[in-house]
Amino acid sequence: MLEVREIRKAFGNQEVLSGISFSIEKGDVAVILGPSGSGKTTLLRCLEFFEQADSGEVLFDDIDVDLRNVTKEQIKAIRQKTAFVFQNYNLFNNKTALENVLEGLVIGRKIPKKEAEAIAKEALDKVGLSDKYAYYPSQLSGGQQQRVGIARAIALSPEIIFFDEPTSALDPELIGEVLATMKKIAKEGTTMLVVTHEMSFAQDVANKIIFMDGGSIVEEGTPRQIFTEPKEERTRQFLKRMLPEYTYYI
Amino acid sequence: MLKFDFVYLLEQIPKLVPYLDITFLVLILTLFFGTILGFILAAWKLGIRPILSKLAYAFTTAMRCTPSIVLLFLVYYGLPALASIFAFDLNDLSKLFFVVTAFSLSFGNVMSEIIRSSYLAVEKGQYEAAVSVGLTRFDAFRRIILPQAAVVALPNIINSILTLLKEGSLAYTIGLIDVMGKANLLIAMNYEAHALETLLALSFIYWSISIIIEKANELLEQRLSKGRTFVKTV
Ligand SMILES: Nc1ncnc2c1ncn2[C@@H]1O[C@H](COP(=O)(O)OP(=O)(O)OP(=O)(O)O)[C@@H](O)[C@H]1O
Ligand SMILES: [Mg+2]
Repeated sequence: MLEVREIRKAFGNQEVLSGISFSIEKGDVAVILGPSGSGKTTLLRCLEFFEQADSGEVLFDDIDVDLRNVTKEQIKAIRQKTAFVFQNYNLFNNKTALENVLEGLVIGRKIPKKEAEAIAKEALDKVGLSDKYAYYPSQLSGGQQQRVGIARAIALSPEIIFFDEPTSALDPELIGEVLATMKKIAKEGTTMLVVTHEMSFAQDVANKIIFMDGGSIVEEGTPRQIFTEPKEERTRQFLKRMLPEYTYYI
Repeated sequence: MLKFDFVYLLEQIPKLVPYLDITFLVLILTLFFGTILGFILAAWKLGIRPILSKLAYAFTTAMRCTPSIVLLFLVYYGLPALASIFAFDLNDLSKLFFVVTAFSLSFGNVMSEIIRSSYLAVEKGQYEAAVSVGLTRFDAFRRIILPQAAVVALPNIINSILTLLKEGSLAYTIGLIDVMGKANLLIAMNYEAHALETLLALSFIYWSISIIIEKANELLEQRLSKGRTFVKTV
């Protein structure tokens, strides 16, 4: 469904992505792991065209994008198929929870207001916020805001949702509700590409792990392969730091 | 010196009020053209074209160093002189034109800085979230960025409008008869007797307008700042 070939991106003369290739099938829940600064955020941002990659290719169903010369139409077409959940939520501050979800449906997708409202409410209900339609972001907790962010994404029925560390701005006691929401939509068959440091999510929900370091993919595989028999030393070192209990698995 | 005459003061007010139309005309035209200029300059400053951005900043620097009254005279005498080089005759243009032109330049400049800084005050993530849900750049600006930037900009805009109202009184120096010009005439006609009463009457008028503008500001602020409640109701 989504195939990425040889994405390269440099900021100034610092190469942040040095040729990233992977592919994702419909229904996959892929988790990208990697130490800070390894280029995970940059990768997702390039796929949503928040950053312009220097070179590479993105194949999305029948769309074939050469990242060296992207057209506006291609950006629009890819964004139609994708949604993005941000680390710091980025809810529209001037809009209520319901309006946040409606915005993309009514203005972006031109869906009639009535119909859009039904879709938006259904999405908010799904993330457990049926009593918060009229709340502004400033009136919601971080966990609730992020769930609105997820509702905003799923309402558009994208083919894939990108998550960039959706829980790392949250207080520990709020992480659970967001992870549970993500797990729920994953179980419904939503295709997801998730950058996270939550090992429990990677172990229990993902069917594919991509481990990045220094702008490259070091290794990828099923959670079982990566967590129990990592091939690369760098993966082992990383997991050891992230999962102190990991040593007991050996 | 004559005794202060409060009744005289009250009598001056109805004589001045009819000339408010010119004062307001200057104010409204300047707001209109100045705001357009402000948006253009801000777009240049924020844009990616280095020439336009340098030009806009140079304009701002120049305007900052020019006293309003100097600018007014420069436009009043300079513009026709400049135009005559190209064989245009601007001498018959109304004084209103020159006043509005001069004030629009300076108000536009102030607006460009207000627009620029309030635009930058809105997080980049707001724009990214907007385009990722399928909004066009224009819709993202109009529906998401602008309303939030407006909240940030409002107090500064109101301040600038009040400044403009006050500086508008300079228009009388090139002979435009607005409320200030009329007050000046009234004083002159009376050989400067009761000048104090007339000036106080004028001040009352300016104060009243300012109070109205500030009230409008409060109402607007309440309306615009929805979503800005900082009370957490978890
Ligand atoms: N806009 C930018 N300009 C310059 N350098 C940048 C920019 N964005 C990211 N970088 C650099 O690129 C590198 C990769 O950053 P990125 O945010 O993609 O890492 P990450 O893997 O998401 O890290 P983290 O786990 O801390 O979020 C870092 O060294 C960062 O400093
Ligand atoms: Mg990151």
